[in-house]
Amino acid sequence: MNALSRNDKTAVGRWFWTIDKLLLGLVLLLIGIGILAVAAASPAAAHRYSGSGTSIDELHYLKRQIMWVLAGVPLMLGVSMLSIAWAKRVAIGLTIAFLFALFLVPFFGFETNGAVRWIQLPGFQFQPSEFLKPVFIVTSAWLLSVRFDDKSMPTMQLSFGLLVIVASLLVKQPDIGQTALFAAVWLVQASLAGMSVAIVGGAIAAGAAGLATAYAFVPHVTSRIDRFIQGTGDTYQIDRALDCFKAGGLFGAGPGEGVMKFKLPEAQTDYIFAVIGEEFGAIACIALAVLYLGIVLRVLLQLLDEEEPFVFLAAAGLATQFGLQAAINMSVNLNLMPSKGMTLPFVSHGGSSFLALSMGMGLLLALTRRNRFLKSSPYLGTARA
Amino acid sequence: MTGAAASLGQRAVPPRAAPLALAGRRQAAFARARYRLVIGGMVFTALTAALALRLGDLALLHEPPATGSASALSPKRGDILDRNGVVLARSFEAFGVSVFPQQLVSEPDRLAHQLAAILPERSEERLKSELLHHATYRVLSRRVLPAQAQAINNLGEPAIVLEREPDRLYPNLSLGAHVIGYTEAGKRRAFGRSGLEKVFDEKLSGEATRGTPLVLAMDSRVQQALAAELRASMVKHHAVGAAGVVLDVQTGEVIAMVSLPDFNPNAPGMDYVTPADGSPDNRFNRTTQGMYELGSTFKALTVAMAMDEGIIKSMSQTFDATAPIRIGKFTIDDDKSHRLRKYVNTPEIMVFSSNIGTARLASALGGERQRDYLKRLGFFDPVRVELGEHSRPLYPAISNWGESATMTVGFGHGFAVSPLHLAIAYGAVVNGGILRPATMLKVAPGKAVPGTRIFTAETSAKMNALLRLVVTSGTGRKANTPGYRVGGKTGTSEKVVNGRYVKNARVASFAGAFPMDKPRYVVVAMVDEPKGIPETYGFATAGWVAAPIMGNVVARIAPVLGVAPDVTHDVDMRGILGLVETAGAEHE
Repeated sequence: MNALSRNDKTAVGRWFWTIDKLLLGLVLLLIGIGILAVAAASPAAAHRYSGSGTSIDELHYLKRQIMWVLAGVPLMLGVSMLSIAWAKRVAIGLTIAFLFALFLVPFFGFETNGAVRWIQLPGFQFQPSEFLKPVFIVTSAWLLSVRFDDKSMPTMQLSFGLLVIVASLLVKQPDIGQTALFAAVWLVQASLAGMSVAIVGGAIAAGAAGLATAYAFVPHVTSRIDRFIQGTGDTYQIDRALDCFKAGGLFGAGPGEGVMKFKLPEAQTDYIFAVIGEEFGAIACIALAVLYLGIVLRVLLQLLDEEEPFVFLAAAGLATQFGLQAAINMSVNLNLMPSKGMTLPFVSHGGSSFLALSMGMGLLLALTRRNRFLKSSPYLGTARA
Repeated sequence: MTGAAASLGQRAVPPRAAPLALAGRRQAAFARARYRLVIGGMVFTALTAALALRLGDLALLHEPPATGSASALSPKRGDILDRNGVVLARSFEAFGVSVFPQQLVSEPDRLAHQLAAILPERSEERLKSELLHHATYRVLSRRVLPAQAQAINNLGEPAIVLEREPDRLYPNLSLGAHVIGYTEAGKRRAFGRSGLEKVFDEKLSGEATRGTPLVLAMDSRVQQALAAELRASMVKHHAVGAAGVVLDVQTGEVIAMVSLPDFNPNAPGMDYVTPADGSPDNRFNRTTQGMYELGSTFKALTVAMAMDEGIIKSMSQTFDATAPIRIGKFTIDDDKSHRLRKYVNTPEIMVFSSNIGTARLASALGGERQRDYLKRLGFFDPVRVELGEHSRPLYPAISNWGESATMTVGFGHGFAVSPLHLAIAYGAVVNGGILRPATMLKVAPGKAVPGTRIFTAETSAKMNALLRLVVTSGTGRKANTPGYRVGGKTGTSEKVVNGRYVKNARVASFAGAFPMDKPRYVVVAMVDEPKGIPETYGFATAGWVAAPIMGNVVARIAPVLGVAPDVTHDVDMRGILGLVETAGAEHE
């Protein structure tokens, strides 16, 4: 009557019979697409960052991406093997660790593009905020889940206090985009945990006020928002991204045939969606957007019959973070939002981002493990039940 | 501990039984949570739909960017071509050679030896020290030829990289250098620093326009002939400089424009002939920036004004040239070699280049009308052409423009303009009386600027006969080229340096046109400070120096320009031939 009754009783066997194979398949498909996309963007980025003093190999970024995939996929699978209890313990422990690292950034970090976000480790640049994201979401879920059974516990206030600490550290860097993402995911989790609509509305208003404050007092936020709203100032970056989509049309210029991509800034990270748009076309881009939606909906639909508040909130939060980050990146590429330094999950090149996402997806896979035969969702695969 | 089930690793184990009230609460909380979760899923679906719509909008409803694949391959800077498509300036990707010394695979001694064989300008020791350098990156050579790049590539050393950088090439070296100009490498692109490279910098570098080459009015064959003849004369007469223009009088196109000494736009900082020579002087464009008293060539203009204003009523009408004119502190006299000391008619004024006769015409014209003509001919403004290198003509102040100024300006003294000014004005004299602005760019058929009328067609026809007469019987005889009906006027003037005339520092010029029966091209040739030589019996006047240039140039360029030699045709000179007493003035 439980998964152990299957003849394979090893941890791997148990993992194999309980893991959400469809979700895992979708994620692996996404990682494969990411390798293709980085292969397309790599020469463009290499050209851009090669100068008279440095020469970057055309496939430099592809090679590094494959390296991250080779490190990230085992990490994801390893994390997905954790039991829910251990997933929770590990996440809470790591939250403390990464919060400490984030606290150290202003002292040991180095500056890129006017912000201090990174800590240099040997051979690897480490962005604590990326790693903090998934474990913070799990920790928030743990605190908020208490409210399902006992409304008198002040855990929501506690969780909110934690968010305020993280947000203040991020604003100091400054990293307004990540702050907004942390706050948005927390808000989703809190409203799932029963926060009243009035407070949710108030929080959104407070967020808007915060953004307005950032607009008024943080110069680079001011210029980014001005550029987006008025289309004035230096719109070079976004114009080049839009050129890519226009040049690609429905079916794209073909792999390796892209021309506009060579003018893109950050072709391998923030603007990789535009590279896909030029070389593979709008249809492929829509398919990619639908793949992200598929991953998010797969998790959300499974959660509909979830009976454990912590799992429900943690998985919903992780799926929201994943989907929101993808949606924001794609919107920025399409000039539907002002530019933010946010990567396209599993597709953009970048070590910190990829490993952190692997960890987050590993946690999500661990949380959604269930007996596929005994407790398959009435909303999914009913024929099997 | 609440949420107790979570602490158990096994999902299959049912949660511990919770108190009934709590279970009810949990049910309600979950119902609300699921409801909100569904809303969240719908929001994500809507976001995806919005992205899909936007993608479809960009892909289907927007034109692909104009800077498509073709223009990404277009040169970084547009080509410059002559009127027949000959390349005058071209951008290309040059090869540079660099090395990453730390990544060297080959044995440095052998590699240095091989490289030295390919790059003869680099010593083997020097190359070896670069290969063994402790830096991560070293430049071996900024520019190598494609064949050298290929040979280096064939060495197969992975640490040596060939880099491509845009460069500007002027394949004809100094030919037309003052017209084309030169560029200087800037941080993001090359910038035009003189000539048309500077004037059309935006068009040549603009993403939308650089794909179309800039086509000049210049004919490189004519340019080459004019440059060669001027250079030969300059060397022969030990002159400090020379300048010349060939102008199409029907369209205003500048077919050739030469200023000597010139420079090599590929290396504009250095004069390739005499490296010690100061380059700013070489880059000085004498045809547009240089202001010269062009002397007697001006007389043709005064005669044309006088004809137009009815002062000259007939060719046989005479004017008093029996004695020098004394006015104020000036004495106006004719040149010793051809003093007539009699009443002279217009053909005689032209053929013998009479200062006194011209002064009489100018005096009759009066300062006001003279200035009006000069104004309309553009002599009071910097020359109007697509070149940044120009200066303001030098002329007497209006308050100072009395009788004496009117007379001296009439024969080209006390008034300095550029050779191109003179060529444009001569165009209006010979082409039927229409002044056309000069242009450095090719004019499409039928697209010539209409121009403004300065002289009557009748005046122009008479002037053509007179100019032809000067070449057949007067000071310009050395300009005559059998069959090509050359006409024109010589001019020798003393150079003004710091406001004072300098004896023995002359400017010898010739302004003329061909074929005079239907003038098409004006040629102006000028030699700066020619010296007398035994071959010219010590003379350095225009008749000896500038007129032969005209003759030689016409003989070389007329066939190229499609003007057929014809000894059976000529200008109708019947009315004036008999009026000139002696046909013998060799020089002014």
